[in-house]
Amino acid sequence: MTGAPGALGSWQYRRIVRTMFPLLVVLSVIVLLAGITLQDAEELLAEYGLLAIMVPTMIGTGGNLGAILSSRLTTRFHLGVVTFDITDRTVLANVAAVFALGVTIFTALALGAYLIGLLTGIGELQLDTLLVISLVSGLSVVVIAVVLSFLATWVSYRLGIDPDDTTIPIVTNVVDVFGMVVFLGVSAIVVGL
Amino acid sequence: MAAREFVSIYREALPVLLVSLAGGLVSGVVLERVLGQVAVFPGLLVMVPVFLATRGNIYGALGARISSGLHQGLIQPRLERNDRLVNAVFASFINAVGISVVIAVISWVALQLMGWESASLLAFLLIMLVAGVLTSIVLILGLLILIFWGFNRGYDPDNLVGPIVTTLGDIFGMLFLLLATMVVGVML
Repeated sequence: MTGAPGALGSWQYRRIVRTMFPLLVVLSVIVLLAGITLQDAEELLAEYGLLAIMVPTMIGTGGNLGAILSSRLTTRFHLGVVTFDITDRTVLANVAAVFALGVTIFTALALGAYLIGLLTGIGELQLDTLLVISLVSGLSVVVIAVVLSFLATWVSYRLGIDPDDTTIPIVTNVVDVFGMVVFLGVSAIVVGL
Repeated sequence: MAAREFVSIYREALPVLLVSLAGGLVSGVVLERVLGQVAVFPGLLVMVPVFLATRGNIYGALGARISSGLHQGLIQPRLERNDRLVNAVFASFINAVGISVVIAVISWVALQLMGWESASLLAFLLIMLVAGVLTSIVLILGLLILIFWGFNRGYDPDNLVGPIVTTLGDIFGMLFLLLATMVVGVML
């Protein structure tokens, strides 16, 4: 196969589907938990429409940050410069940057949702409430994303598999689930106060 | 050195995340409308996160493949009948349609197991197929056009794939999901 010049090799559609579809099924089953959580919170979301507006960003951002950190850690591994020493200053700089990005994005998310509320009239929540919900749940998810990224990079390294193929998608999707559960949990508590 | 690393990661990632945030907010506004469709299709929300996450997984992989193909010179940055390009696109279409069926089935089964109110399996299948096929067409075309456009202008496609997929996937995934519930509501 590899010797045939001009052969499609790994670009053959059957091969792409055969390697990828099983992973997609596994990921779907994982993220189904986020769906069940979302459906369970339907009444809360129907009452507070601004929370619904925040959902896609809430479930996506943790995964995005996890992917950024994972791919940085992976690259450092390939270059052979990584240690799992958490006092390593460069590793700390990576983690600190991810937290700073989290603070920025989740503040912007609360502001964005609030502005949309003003424009559309779907505004039942005050800006300070939105900020508390967004930052508390967002930063909790960032903690989870950071821990899982380190864990996944370490596991990939130990098992000798390429993190880009499996561990990064798994981290991203698992963080999606945590994002949903934490966001709706924090929202229910804050709104219920 | 650590401080420089901090600033460089922050500055590199922020624009991408802000673009995703804008896409996420648009998607959220549409989700707020989807909530109204739950009365017609009970249990509908179970499928939403899985559907959105799958878009990222499938088209993120397609984008990464196209991106390394461009880097290796295996494909050219234009829409043409290149065997590799056709196979990669066809594979992502099959994955998208196949996983749509899987999502409908596992969501319906989960609702039965928990004893929650649920729309029919047929309704879920039709919604996922309509939304899945429409999203596929827009995401595949949008992804290819934007990656090629960026590549021709000297951007590294590796840096474009993530934000393009998240933003287009969030917006069009949710829009077509809403549209699919309306279409299927008329059909059934």
